[in-house]
Amino acid sequence: MRFRRRHLSLWFLLLAYGAACWWVFTRSTPVWRRRPVTIYFAHWQIERGPPAGIDAVIRRYEELNPRVHVVQLAIPGGTIYPQWLRSNLAGGTGADLLEWGSWVPGTKDIPARYFSPLTSELAKPNPYNRGTSQEKIAWQDTFHDGLLAPRRESPDPGQIYAVNLTEHSLRLFANAGLMRQIAGRVVELKTFDDLRRLLVQVRTYAQRTGQPISGIAGSRDTTRALVEPLLVPTMLREVYAMDEGGQLFLYNRQLLAGYLEGKWRYSDPAVKAALGLIREVTDAMKPGFQQLRRDDAMLEFLRGQALFFFYGTWDATSLHQLASFEIKTYKLPPVTPDDPKVGPMVLGIMGEGMGETGLSMYLNKDSAHPAEALDFLKFITSVPGNQIFTDHSLWLPAVNGVVVPEPIRNFRDYLQGYAFGQAPIDAIGSEASMEWDRHFYELIGEQGSVDRFAATMDRLGPTAIRTDLTSELRNTLLLVKPQDVQIVGWAGLAGDAARTRQSELEMGQTMSEGLALQMRRVLEKTAN
Amino acid sequence: MVACSAGTAGNDWNSLANLRTRDVLRALPEGGGSRPERLAWAAAELGDQPVTEGNLQAAERVLAELAGGDDAIAPEAAYLRARIYQLHRATPDYARAAAIYQELAERWPRSHWAQLGLVKLALLELYLLPGAAKEEDRIATAEKLLARVEEPPLRRDLQLQIGLAGIALRVPIARFLPHLVAAARFGGIGGSAREDILVQIGVLSSRCGEWAQAREFFERYLQEFPRNARAFAVRERLAEVNRHLAPEGGP
Repeated sequence: MRFRRRHLSLWFLLLAYGAACWWVFTRSTPVWRRRPVTIYFAHWQIERGPPAGIDAVIRRYEELNPRVHVVQLAIPGGTIYPQWLRSNLAGGTGADLLEWGSWVPGTKDIPARYFSPLTSELAKPNPYNRGTSQEKIAWQDTFHDGLLAPRRESPDPGQIYAVNLTEHSLRLFANAGLMRQIAGRVVELKTFDDLRRLLVQVRTYAQRTGQPISGIAGSRDTTRALVEPLLVPTMLREVYAMDEGGQLFLYNRQLLAGYLEGKWRYSDPAVKAALGLIREVTDAMKPGFQQLRRDDAMLEFLRGQALFFFYGTWDATSLHQLASFEIKTYKLPPVTPDDPKVGPMVLGIMGEGMGETGLSMYLNKDSAHPAEALDFLKFITSVPGNQIFTDHSLWLPAVNGVVVPEPIRNFRDYLQGYAFGQAPIDAIGSEASMEWDRHFYELIGEQGSVDRFAATMDRLGPTAIRTDLTSELRNTLLLVKPQDVQIVGWAGLAGDAARTRQSELEMGQTMSEGLALQMRRVLEKTAN
Repeated sequence: MVACSAGTAGNDWNSLANLRTRDVLRALPEGGGSRPERLAWAAAELGDQPVTEGNLQAAERVLAELAGGDDAIAPEAAYLRARIYQLHRATPDYARAAAIYQELAERWPRSHWAQLGLVKLALLELYLLPGAAKEEDRIATAEKLLARVEEPPLRRDLQLQIGLAGIALRVPIARFLPHLVAAARFGGIGGSAREDILVQIGVLSSRCGEWAQAREFFERYLQEFPRNARAFAVRERLAEVNRHLAPEGGP
């Protein structure tokens, strides 16, 4: 009897083990879901700050919405996020809410293919702002910059596809103790020439003491960020000359078209002057910096082997938490019209605007729970939601009415000046950008030269830039064609909301078609 | 416009509005029975991925047949048919698309689809269709079509396009600026286009000495986009405009 009972227990255990294996290998979902809806929020901000901020927002949101579970997916940027993004979207397994930026390589077509516009929702007040200073204000107007980047980067000029969580700017972080050792004091940097002179002092100090100290911590990523503001000041006159439409700003498609029409060249004096400035700052980095990434540059700075680290305020939280020394933060000092080397070419100081918001989140148009995903976006960009994000991440808020914590308050002090365009000439298109990166070594270091790099880019430019403008055209058409189907769909539905959506789509489609025809005309006129 | 109750379930239109074309094709496996159903099926064929020449030809056949009718479906079908020739085919046939838009506007001049077709026809005339001796003629042809567009939002869209084409075709500013101004005054332009048009009118008005108009649009821009990176340059231009206006008795 006892033997039979033991035998039965053994069978029962085996059965339970088999059932558990079957569940794990075939289902891999929890046996009981505590909440009926799960939404996924994917981004690449794995620095210190944002994951904690987003977690805190999720905790509060789940308290308010017991039906919904929000899962944060922090995917490393660089090469992993773009591949992860595309493969999941193409496979129909994309997260409900996804971060995207126009500079992420090889993803220009993603918004048109996979994201839903938020325009009509943005025109209404955000319900989570009830009882705050932003209560009756349209959601889009509650953002500190009115969503400049999502408007500018929209594949459809009549639509807005994203909302932003934070605000950022580029800053020069300095090791204050090291600066005192080198210069005898903490120097105020008012112009680029002040920086230039300090970098010479660093080199002299390193040679005199034999210490391996660089002026600027170098890496491929951070150098790109440092190069871009230097490309702009001497080129502004050229940009304004090309600006026949009076926008006081050029979109990438216009700079691409301008090159094909012969309106600018890499070997123009203005561009060469900018390339000379780039040589000056890269000379202050340790040799081989192009093989390094952002984290390597940060480590070089944290070890006290570089006076400056240049990157976004998104790294400030990490730097302040990890550094064992006092950090002083500067705006990149502007290249001014009285600069001893390039001054005569400089029209005026380039501005940073009044702060541009970022960390753009998009709604996947194949989301299984679009209403809940949109609702979470509204919460995280409401005054209370964004306050939680800011307090826990120490990243600037994107939303008006949020109190900025003391340690980051000075990040909102912006340099006022002229605007340039959607992107400097190193980033106007995937192909042109790739050629820039591939041949950057021809510009820098002892073997590099401005003339050689400019000549190479002008040799490769026509093909690369034609490819980029063709891609812009193709991406625009990618958006326009399915809109015919959507317009017919909305026309068939009754009600004012359907009429409004139909009219918005018709307007946006006509604008996009106009742009596509302009690009096509340039491509045809400049063929051969 | 096709009412949702006209024989096709609202679900099909809803699926098309959300680009779920596969759902429509699954719901109408035989291509649909009623005329609205057949229109929905043809529209779904246009958007169903991957789009093939075979799909487009099948859709075009159905649309041609529907366009031969005399109900609310007919102009919509004719419009979509023109879109196939203009946009969806791998090798577009702009002349054929233009001919269908013309016929549509003559047969049902008040139909929304004919009116929308006139806007698309104007775009073809502005940039692609042959026959213009000089670029200004393209603007004139589009203006003739504009005179036939009666729906205010579509007039705005076409005026905006005539203005932007004027810039791209490099015709004299005075020839196209009134269209940009009319589009901006009508309102409802969204996204980045809204910021662009306010600055553009300000700058282009300054270039041709229309100082009061320049001031109006620069001030509107600064009111709506005070934090935009372009605000610094706009403030500088506005100060210049005000200097010009001061001797004329302006404030």
